[in-house]
Amino acid sequence: MNTFIIVFLLLLGAYFVAVLEVWISKGRFQLAAPLFAAIAFLGRESFIPRKPDQLFYEVGPVLLLLSAVLAAAVIPLTPDLIMTDLATGALFINAALVYVLVALLMAGWGPDGAYAMIGGWRFLGQLIAYAMLIVMPITAVVMRAESLLSTQIVISQAGLWNIVYQPLGFILFFIASMALAFLPPFDLMIAKGELASGVEAEYSGMRLAIFRLGRLVLIITLASANVIFYLGGWQGPELFGYSLPPWAWSAIKILAVTMVMLFAGHYMPRIREAHLLSWCWMFGIPLALINIFIVGVLLLEFP
Amino acid sequence: MTVQAFFIGFFGLAAVWFGIVVFRTFSMMRSALALLFSQTALGAMFLSMQAEFLGVLQIMMMATEMSIMAIFMVMFMMDPGGLGEMEMTHQKRLSLIAGFVSFVGAVAVAVFVDWGPVASTFPDATQQTVELGLELLDRSMLIFETAGITILTAMIAATAVAIEPEKKSVTDEP
Repeated sequence: MNTFIIVFLLLLGAYFVAVLEVWISKGRFQLAAPLFAAIAFLGRESFIPRKPDQLFYEVGPVLLLLSAVLAAAVIPLTPDLIMTDLATGALFINAALVYVLVALLMAGWGPDGAYAMIGGWRFLGQLIAYAMLIVMPITAVVMRAESLLSTQIVISQAGLWNIVYQPLGFILFFIASMALAFLPPFDLMIAKGELASGVEAEYSGMRLAIFRLGRLVLIITLASANVIFYLGGWQGPELFGYSLPPWAWSAIKILAVTMVMLFAGHYMPRIREAHLLSWCWMFGIPLALINIFIVGVLLLEFP
Repeated sequence: MTVQAFFIGFFGLAAVWFGIVVFRTFSMMRSALALLFSQTALGAMFLSMQAEFLGVLQIMMMATEMSIMAIFMVMFMMDPGGLGEMEMTHQKRLSLIAGFVSFVGAVAVAVFVDWGPVASTFPDATQQTVELGLELLDRSMLIFETAGITILTAMIAATAVAIEPEKKSVTDEP
Protein backbone atom coordinates (compact mmCIF):
# COMPACT_ATOMS: atom_id res chain seq x y z
CA MET A 1 0.00 0.00 0.00
CA ASN A 2 2.77 2.39 1.00
CA THR A 3 4.47 1.71 -2.30
CA PHE A 4 1.40 2.84 -4.26
CA ILE A 5 1.00 5.97 -2.15
CA ILE A 6 4.66 6.95 -2.55
CA VAL A 7 4.72 6.30 -6.29
CA PHE A 8 1.58 8.41 -6.61
CA LEU A 9 3.16 11.17 -4.53
CA LEU A 10 6.32 11.01 -6.65
CA LEU A 11 4.24 11.50 -9.79
CA LEU A 12 2.41 14.37 -8.14
CA GLY A 13 5.74 15.88 -7.11
CA ALA A 14 7.10 15.45 -10.63
CA TYR A 15 4.04 17.27 -11.99
CA PHE A 16 4.63 20.06 -9.51
CA VAL A 17 8.29 20.34 -10.51
CA ALA A 18 7.30 20.55 -14.17
CA VAL A 19 4.85 23.41 -13.48
CA LEU A 20 7.33 25.17 -11.25
CA GLU A 21 10.20 24.87 -13.70
CA VAL A 22 8.26 26.60 -16.44
CA TRP A 23 7.05 29.21 -13.98
CA ILE A 24 10.55 30.05 -12.79
CA SER A 25 12.37 29.89 -16.10
CA LYS A 26 9.74 31.38 -18.42
CA GLY A 27 7.52 33.31 -16.01
CA ARG A 28 4.36 31.50 -17.07
CA PHE A 29 2.26 29.73 -14.44
CA GLN A 30 0.32 27.08 -16.36
CA LEU A 31 -1.16 24.33 -14.23
CA ALA A 32 -2.31 22.15 -17.11
CA ALA A 33 0.74 22.58 -19.36
CA PRO A 34 2.61 19.39 -18.27
CA LEU A 35 -0.54 17.34 -18.87
CA PHE A 36 -0.93 18.64 -22.41
CA ALA A 37 2.80 18.25 -23.04
CA ALA A 38 2.63 14.63 -21.89
CA ILE A 39 -0.35 13.88 -24.15
CA ALA A 40 1.46 15.55 -27.04
CA PHE A 41 4.56 13.46 -26.37
CA LEU A 42 2.57 10.24 -26.40
CA GLY A 43 0.88 11.20 -29.64
CA ARG A 44 4.07 12.11 -31.45
CA GLU A 45 6.11 9.75 -33.54
CA SER A 46 9.10 8.29 -31.77
CA PHE A 47 12.00 8.54 -34.19
CA ILE A 48 14.70 5.92 -33.93
CA PRO A 49 18.23 6.82 -35.01
CA ARG A 50 19.79 4.95 -37.89
CA LYS A 51 22.19 2.64 -36.09
CA PRO A 52 21.41 2.62 -32.37
CA ASP A 53 22.64 0.13 -29.82
CA GLN A 54 19.10 -1.15 -29.39
CA LEU A 55 19.54 -2.32 -25.80
CA PHE A 56 21.24 0.80 -24.45
CA TYR A 57 18.95 3.11 -26.38
CA GLU A 58 15.78 1.57 -24.98
CA VAL A 59 17.07 0.92 -21.46
CA GLY A 60 18.57 4.39 -20.84
CA PRO A 61 15.39 6.42 -20.12
CA VAL A 62 13.74 3.55 -18.23
CA LEU A 63 16.81 3.07 -16.04
CA LEU A 64 16.85 6.79 -15.23
CA LEU A 65 13.24 6.62 -14.03
CA LEU A 66 13.86 3.35 -12.20
CA SER A 67 16.89 4.56 -10.28
CA ALA A 68 15.07 7.72 -9.18
CA VAL A 69 12.11 5.66 -7.93
CA LEU A 70 14.38 3.12 -6.22
CA ALA A 71 16.22 5.90 -4.40
CA ALA A 72 12.87 7.19 -3.18
CA ALA A 73 12.06 3.74 -1.79
CA VAL A 74 14.06 4.34 1.39
CA ILE A 75 12.94 7.95 1.96
CA PRO A 76 10.44 8.25 4.83
CA LEU A 77 7.74 10.90 4.36
CA THR A 78 6.18 10.20 7.77
CA PRO A 79 7.33 7.71 10.46
CA ASP A 80 5.25 5.00 8.74
CA LEU A 81 5.04 6.16 5.14
CA ILE A 82 8.12 4.53 3.62
CA MET A 83 8.37 1.84 0.99
CA THR A 84 11.02 -0.19 2.77
CA ASP A 85 13.10 0.81 5.77
CA LEU A 86 16.32 -0.92 4.78
CA ALA A 87 19.04 -1.43 7.36
CA THR A 88 21.41 0.12 4.80
CA GLY A 89 19.09 2.99 3.78
CA ALA A 90 21.63 5.81 3.50
CA LEU A 91 23.92 3.60 1.43
CA PHE A 92 21.05 2.35 -0.70
CA ILE A 93 20.12 5.89 -1.79
CA ASN A 94 23.66 6.25 -3.09
CA ALA A 95 23.59 2.90 -4.82
CA ALA A 96 20.35 3.71 -6.61
CA LEU A 97 21.44 7.21 -7.62
CA VAL A 98 24.71 6.02 -9.13
CA TYR A 99 22.65 4.29 -11.80
CA VAL A 100 21.54 7.74 -12.99
CA LEU A 101 25.03 7.94 -14.43
CA VAL A 102 24.75 4.51 -16.05
CA ALA A 103 21.39 5.52 -17.53
CA LEU A 104 22.77 8.75 -19.00
CA LEU A 105 25.83 6.98 -20.38
CA MET A 106 23.57 4.40 -22.04
CA ALA A 107 21.19 7.04 -23.35
CA GLY A 108 24.11 9.12 -24.59
CA TRP A 109 26.16 6.37 -26.18
CA GLY A 110 23.31 4.18 -27.37
CA PRO A 111 21.88 6.29 -30.25
CA ASP A 112 25.27 6.44 -32.02
CA GLY A 113 25.12 10.22 -32.36
CA ALA A 114 27.89 12.70 -31.62
CA TYR A 115 25.88 15.24 -29.61
CA ALA A 116 24.24 12.68 -27.36
CA MET A 117 27.49 10.86 -26.81
CA ILE A 118 29.37 14.01 -25.75
CA GLY A 119 26.48 14.81 -23.40
CA GLY A 120 26.75 11.37 -21.81
CA TRP A 121 30.50 11.62 -21.30
CA ARG A 122 30.07 15.12 -19.89
CA PHE A 123 27.83 13.70 -17.22
CA LEU A 124 30.52 11.18 -16.37
CA GLY A 125 32.96 14.06 -15.92
CA GLN A 126 30.39 15.71 -13.70
CA LEU A 127 29.99 12.52 -11.65
CA ILE A 128 33.71 12.42 -10.91
CA ALA A 129 33.23 15.93 -9.53
CA TYR A 130 30.10 15.51 -7.43
CA ALA A 131 30.22 11.84 -6.37
CA MET A 132 32.46 12.39 -3.35
CA LEU A 133 30.32 15.35 -2.25
CA ILE A 134 27.29 13.08 -2.12
CA VAL A 135 28.99 10.30 -0.17
CA MET A 136 31.10 12.28 2.32
CA PRO A 137 28.35 14.57 3.70
CA ILE A 138 26.08 11.50 4.06
CA THR A 139 28.89 9.86 6.04
CA ALA A 140 28.84 12.75 8.50
CA VAL A 141 25.03 12.54 8.76
CA VAL A 142 25.24 8.80 9.42
CA MET A 143 27.93 9.39 12.06
CA ARG A 144 25.53 11.54 14.02
CA ALA A 145 22.60 9.12 13.64
CA GLU A 146 24.84 6.11 14.39
CA SER A 147 22.68 4.20 11.96
CA LEU A 148 22.17 3.78 8.23
CA LEU A 149 18.39 3.53 8.69
CA SER A 150 16.84 6.58 7.06
CA THR A 151 14.11 6.78 9.72
CA GLN A 152 16.80 6.73 12.40
CA ILE A 153 18.61 9.56 10.61
CA VAL A 154 15.47 11.69 10.80
CA ILE A 155 14.88 10.84 14.46
CA SER A 156 18.49 11.76 15.30
CA GLN A 157 17.66 15.36 14.30
CA ALA A 158 14.83 15.70 16.83
CA GLY A 159 16.80 18.12 19.01
CA LEU A 160 18.69 20.02 16.34
CA TRP A 161 18.40 19.74 12.59
CA ASN A 162 21.51 18.76 10.70
CA ILE A 163 21.44 21.99 8.71
CA VAL A 164 22.44 23.73 11.95
CA TYR A 165 24.61 20.92 13.27
CA GLN A 166 26.64 20.52 10.08
CA PRO A 167 25.90 23.47 7.75
CA LEU A 168 29.03 22.81 5.71
CA GLY A 169 27.82 19.32 4.86
CA PHE A 170 24.42 20.67 3.84
CA ILE A 171 25.87 23.22 1.42
CA LEU A 172 28.09 20.62 -0.21
CA PHE A 173 25.33 18.02 -0.41
CA PHE A 174 22.89 20.56 -1.81
CA ILE A 175 25.26 21.59 -4.60
CA ALA A 176 26.17 17.97 -5.32
CA SER A 177 22.53 16.93 -5.50
CA MET A 178 21.84 19.72 -7.99
CA ALA A 179 24.71 18.40 -10.10
CA LEU A 180 23.36 14.87 -9.78
CA ALA A 181 19.93 15.95 -10.98
CA PHE A 182 21.62 17.84 -13.86
CA LEU A 183 19.65 20.92 -12.91
CA PRO A 184 20.87 24.31 -14.11
CA PRO A 185 23.63 25.49 -13.73
CA PHE A 186 24.93 21.94 -14.12
CA ASP A 187 22.74 21.01 -17.08
CA LEU A 188 25.33 21.08 -19.85
CA MET A 189 24.46 17.53 -20.89
CA ILE A 190 20.82 18.19 -21.74
CA ALA A 191 20.58 21.96 -22.09
CA LYS A 192 18.75 23.24 -25.16
CA GLY A 193 21.40 25.73 -26.17
CA GLU A 194 24.22 23.22 -25.77
CA LEU A 195 24.93 20.42 -28.24
CA ALA A 196 21.32 20.51 -29.49
CA SER A 197 20.05 19.11 -26.15
CA GLY A 198 22.88 16.60 -25.73
CA VAL A 199 21.63 13.32 -24.33
CA GLU A 200 18.04 14.19 -25.21
CA ALA A 201 18.95 14.99 -28.82
CA GLU A 202 18.19 11.57 -30.31
CA TYR A 203 15.07 10.86 -28.26
CA SER A 204 11.56 11.81 -29.25
CA GLY A 205 7.97 10.92 -28.49
CA MET A 206 7.30 8.33 -25.80
CA ARG A 207 10.96 7.68 -25.02
CA LEU A 208 11.67 11.38 -24.48
CA ALA A 209 8.59 11.55 -22.25
CA ILE A 210 9.99 8.76 -20.06
CA PHE A 211 13.38 10.47 -19.95
CA ARG A 212 11.83 13.80 -18.90
CA LEU A 213 9.63 12.07 -16.32
CA GLY A 214 12.69 10.30 -14.93
CA ARG A 215 14.46 13.64 -14.58
CA LEU A 216 11.50 15.23 -12.77
CA VAL A 217 11.19 12.28 -10.37
CA LEU A 218 14.94 12.48 -9.79
CA ILE A 219 14.65 16.15 -8.80
CA ILE A 220 11.87 15.47 -6.31
CA THR A 221 13.76 12.44 -4.92
CA LEU A 222 16.88 14.50 -4.35
CA ALA A 223 14.90 17.28 -2.71
CA SER A 224 13.43 14.65 -0.36
CA ALA A 225 16.91 13.29 0.34
CA ASN A 226 18.02 16.81 1.31
CA VAL A 227 15.03 17.06 3.63
CA ILE A 228 15.57 13.77 5.46
CA PHE A 229 19.33 14.21 5.77
CA TYR A 230 19.48 17.85 6.80
CA LEU A 231 16.07 19.41 7.43
CA GLY A 232 14.64 17.05 10.04
CA GLY A 233 12.36 15.10 7.72
CA TRP A 234 8.79 14.96 8.97
CA GLN A 235 9.56 16.83 12.20
CA GLY A 236 8.58 20.45 12.67
CA PRO A 237 8.60 23.05 15.42
CA GLU A 238 5.56 23.40 17.68
CA LEU A 239 3.80 26.72 17.98
CA PHE A 240 1.64 27.19 21.10
CA GLY A 241 1.61 23.44 21.59
CA TYR A 242 0.22 22.87 18.14
CA SER A 243 2.11 21.47 15.18
CA LEU A 244 1.27 20.43 11.65
CA PRO A 245 0.95 16.69 10.94
CA PRO A 246 4.16 14.93 9.78
CA TRP A 247 3.09 14.55 6.15
CA ALA A 248 2.47 18.28 5.89
CA TRP A 249 5.94 19.10 7.20
CA SER A 250 7.48 16.68 4.70
CA ALA A 251 5.49 18.18 1.85
CA ILE A 252 6.28 21.79 2.76
CA LYS A 253 9.99 21.12 3.16
CA ILE A 254 10.34 19.06 0.00
CA LEU A 255 8.52 21.67 -2.07
CA ALA A 256 10.59 24.46 -0.53
CA VAL A 257 13.87 22.69 -1.28
CA THR A 258 12.74 22.04 -4.84
CA MET A 259 11.90 25.70 -5.30
CA VAL A 260 15.25 26.82 -3.92
CA MET A 261 17.02 24.39 -6.26
CA LEU A 262 15.17 25.69 -9.31
CA PHE A 263 15.57 29.34 -8.31
CA ALA A 264 19.29 28.96 -7.60
CA GLY A 265 19.80 27.40 -10.99
CA HIS A 266 17.88 30.10 -12.79
CA TYR A 267 20.14 32.90 -11.59
CA MET A 268 23.48 31.21 -12.26
CA PRO A 269 25.53 30.89 -15.44
CA ARG A 270 26.14 27.33 -16.61
CA ILE A 271 29.21 25.73 -15.12
CA ARG A 272 31.46 23.65 -17.33
CA GLU A 273 32.18 20.19 -15.98
CA ALA A 274 35.94 20.88 -16.11
CA HIS A 275 35.50 23.89 -13.83
CA LEU A 276 33.19 21.93 -11.57
CA LEU A 277 35.80 19.17 -11.42
CA SER A 278 38.59 21.48 -10.33
CA TRP A 279 36.35 23.27 -7.82
CA CYS A 280 35.10 20.04 -6.30
CA TRP A 281 38.50 18.41 -5.99
CA MET A 282 40.39 21.48 -4.79
CA PHE A 283 37.78 22.85 -2.37
CA GLY A 284 34.79 20.57 -2.14
CA ILE A 285 36.46 17.37 -1.02
CA PRO A 286 38.77 19.04 1.55
CA LEU A 287 35.73 20.87 2.93
CA ALA A 288 33.81 17.59 3.11
CA LEU A 289 36.68 16.02 5.03
CA ILE A 290 36.77 19.01 7.38
CA ASN A 291 33.03 18.58 7.84
CA ILE A 292 33.49 14.92 8.83
CA PHE A 293 36.26 15.96 11.24
CA ILE A 294 34.16 18.71 12.84
CA VAL A 295 31.17 16.40 13.25
CA GLY A 296 33.46 13.77 14.76
CA VAL A 297 34.83 16.24 17.30
CA LEU A 298 31.32 17.52 18.11
CA LEU A 299 30.07 13.96 18.62
CA LEU A 300 32.94 13.02 20.90
CA GLU A 301 33.05 16.26 22.91
CA PHE A 302 29.34 17.13 23.20
CA PRO A 303 27.44 13.86 22.97
CA MET B 1 16.28 -22.39 1.20
CA THR B 2 15.69 -23.77 -2.30
CA VAL B 3 14.47 -20.38 -3.51
CA GLN B 4 17.59 -18.82 -2.07
CA ALA B 5 19.83 -21.44 -3.72
CA PHE B 6 18.03 -20.86 -7.01
CA PHE B 7 18.66 -17.12 -6.93
CA ILE B 8 22.29 -17.55 -5.90
CA GLY B 9 22.78 -19.91 -8.82
CA PHE B 10 20.87 -17.66 -11.21
CA PHE B 11 22.87 -14.54 -10.39
CA GLY B 12 26.08 -16.57 -10.39
CA LEU B 13 25.41 -17.77 -13.91
CA ALA B 14 24.42 -14.24 -14.95
CA ALA B 15 27.73 -12.95 -13.58
CA VAL B 16 29.65 -15.58 -15.56
CA TRP B 17 27.64 -14.87 -18.73
CA PHE B 18 28.22 -11.11 -18.58
CA GLY B 19 31.87 -11.86 -17.90
CA ILE B 20 31.97 -13.77 -21.19
CA VAL B 21 30.12 -10.95 -22.98
CA VAL B 22 32.96 -8.58 -21.99
CA PHE B 23 35.22 -10.33 -24.48
CA ARG B 24 32.61 -11.07 -27.13
CA THR B 25 31.73 -7.48 -28.03
CA PHE B 26 33.81 -5.17 -30.19
CA SER B 27 33.07 -2.00 -28.29
CA MET B 28 34.74 -0.71 -25.18
CA MET B 29 31.54 0.84 -23.92
CA ARG B 30 29.56 -2.41 -24.20
CA SER B 31 32.47 -4.29 -22.74
CA ALA B 32 32.68 -1.97 -19.73
CA LEU B 33 28.94 -2.09 -19.09
CA ALA B 34 28.92 -5.89 -19.45
CA LEU B 35 31.58 -5.99 -16.75
CA LEU B 36 29.38 -3.68 -14.67
CA PHE B 37 26.40 -6.03 -15.03
CA SER B 38 28.62 -8.97 -14.13
CA GLN B 39 29.67 -7.20 -10.94
CA THR B 40 26.10 -6.12 -10.22
CA ALA B 41 25.06 -9.76 -10.50
CA LEU B 42 27.71 -10.55 -7.87
CA GLY B 43 26.12 -7.86 -5.68
CA ALA B 44 22.75 -9.50 -6.24
CA MET B 45 24.34 -12.79 -5.11
CA PHE B 46 25.37 -11.10 -1.87
CA LEU B 47 21.79 -9.89 -1.46
CA SER B 48 20.45 -13.41 -2.05
CA MET B 49 22.83 -14.60 0.66
CA GLN B 50 21.24 -11.97 2.94
CA ALA B 51 24.46 -9.97 3.25
CA GLU B 52 22.64 -6.69 2.70
CA PHE B 53 25.44 -4.20 3.31
CA LEU B 54 27.96 -6.02 1.13
CA GLY B 55 25.41 -6.41 -1.66
CA VAL B 56 24.37 -2.76 -1.73
CA LEU B 57 28.00 -1.65 -1.44
CA GLN B 58 29.05 -3.88 -4.34
CA ILE B 59 26.19 -2.63 -6.53
CA MET B 60 27.01 0.99 -5.69
CA MET B 61 30.80 0.90 -6.06
CA MET B 62 30.85 -1.06 -9.30
CA ALA B 63 28.56 1.36 -11.17
CA THR B 64 30.96 4.24 -10.54
CA GLU B 65 34.11 2.23 -11.01
CA MET B 66 33.13 0.56 -14.25
CA SER B 67 31.89 3.83 -15.77
CA ILE B 68 35.13 5.54 -14.85
CA MET B 69 37.03 2.57 -16.23
CA ALA B 70 35.07 2.99 -19.45
CA ILE B 71 36.13 6.61 -19.85
CA PHE B 72 39.76 5.77 -19.03
CA MET B 73 39.73 3.04 -21.68
CA VAL B 74 38.17 5.35 -24.22
CA MET B 75 40.67 8.10 -23.42
CA PHE B 76 43.81 6.00 -23.50
CA MET B 77 42.94 3.73 -26.43
CA MET B 78 42.58 5.44 -29.78
CA ASP B 79 38.81 5.15 -29.91
CA PRO B 80 37.08 8.56 -30.03
CA GLY B 81 34.01 8.47 -27.82
CA GLY B 82 34.04 4.68 -27.74
CA LEU B 83 32.10 4.59 -31.02
CA GLY B 84 34.75 2.68 -32.96
CA GLU B 85 35.11 -1.07 -33.14
CA MET B 86 37.95 -2.78 -31.39
CA GLU B 87 39.07 -6.30 -30.64
CA MET B 88 38.71 -6.88 -26.90
CA THR B 89 41.19 -9.76 -26.63
CA HIS B 90 44.91 -10.16 -27.08
CA GLN B 91 47.47 -12.90 -26.40
CA LYS B 92 44.65 -15.35 -26.95
CA ARG B 93 46.42 -18.64 -26.30
CA LEU B 94 48.03 -17.42 -23.07
CA SER B 95 44.78 -15.86 -21.80
CA LEU B 96 42.79 -19.00 -22.62
CA ILE B 97 45.21 -21.16 -20.68
CA ALA B 98 45.42 -18.69 -17.78
CA GLY B 99 41.63 -18.35 -17.66
CA PHE B 100 41.10 -22.11 -17.71
CA VAL B 101 43.71 -22.78 -15.02
CA SER B 102 42.31 -20.12 -12.68
CA PHE B 103 38.75 -21.39 -13.30
CA VAL B 104 39.77 -24.94 -12.37
CA GLY B 105 41.68 -23.60 -9.38
CA ALA B 106 38.69 -21.59 -8.14
CA VAL B 107 36.33 -24.53 -8.57
CA ALA B 108 38.79 -26.82 -6.78
CA VAL B 109 38.99 -24.41 -3.85
CA ALA B 110 35.19 -24.15 -3.71
CA VAL B 111 34.71 -27.93 -3.79
CA PHE B 112 37.60 -29.32 -1.79
CA VAL B 113 37.95 -26.82 1.05
CA ASP B 114 36.20 -27.83 4.25
CA TRP B 115 33.96 -24.82 4.85
CA GLY B 116 32.60 -26.15 8.16
CA PRO B 117 28.94 -26.58 9.03
CA VAL B 118 26.35 -24.36 7.34
CA ALA B 119 25.34 -21.53 9.66
CA SER B 120 21.78 -22.01 10.84
CA THR B 121 21.36 -18.57 12.38
CA PHE B 122 22.73 -15.25 11.22
CA PRO B 123 22.52 -11.71 12.61
CA ASP B 124 19.98 -9.31 11.09
CA ALA B 125 21.05 -6.63 8.64
CA THR B 126 21.58 -3.88 11.24
CA GLN B 127 23.75 -6.13 13.37
CA GLN B 128 25.69 -7.26 10.30
CA THR B 129 26.53 -3.64 9.48
CA VAL B 130 27.76 -3.04 13.05
CA GLU B 131 29.91 -6.17 13.05
CA LEU B 132 31.32 -5.40 9.62
CA GLY B 133 32.29 -1.92 10.80
CA LEU B 134 34.03 -3.29 13.88
CA GLU B 135 35.85 -5.86 11.77
CA LEU B 136 37.02 -3.26 9.24
CA LEU B 137 38.29 -0.85 11.86
CA ASP B 138 39.83 -3.48 14.09
CA ARG B 139 41.51 -6.63 12.84
CA SER B 140 41.41 -5.94 9.11
CA MET B 141 42.20 -2.23 9.24
CA LEU B 142 45.86 -2.57 8.28
CA ILE B 143 45.03 -4.80 5.30
CA PHE B 144 42.38 -2.46 3.95
CA GLU B 145 44.46 0.67 4.47
CA THR B 146 47.43 -0.95 2.71
CA ALA B 147 45.26 -2.08 -0.18
CA GLY B 148 43.64 1.35 -0.46
CA ILE B 149 46.93 3.22 -0.55
CA THR B 150 48.37 0.75 -3.05
CA ILE B 151 45.44 1.18 -5.42
CA LEU B 152 45.62 4.98 -5.11
CA THR B 153 49.34 4.95 -5.85
CA ALA B 154 48.82 2.69 -8.84
CA MET B 155 46.12 4.97 -10.23
CA ILE B 156 48.19 8.13 -9.86
CA ALA B 157 51.24 6.38 -11.31
CA ALA B 158 49.28 5.05 -14.29
CA THR B 159 47.89 8.49 -15.07
CA ALA B 160 51.28 10.14 -14.65
CA VAL B 161 52.92 7.62 -16.98
CA ALA B 162 50.24 8.14 -19.60
CA ILE B 163 50.56 11.93 -19.73
CA GLU B 164 52.89 13.16 -22.41
CA PRO B 165 55.60 15.36 -20.89
CA GLU B 166 55.37 18.99 -21.93
CA LYS B 167 57.83 19.86 -24.63
CA LYS B 168 60.04 22.90 -24.26
CA SER B 169 59.00 25.81 -26.39
CA VAL B 170 60.88 25.95 -29.67
CA THR B 171 59.65 29.34 -30.84
CA ASP B 172 62.85 31.24 -30.04
CA GLU B 173 64.94 28.95 -32.25
CA PRO B 174 65.63 30.24 -35.74
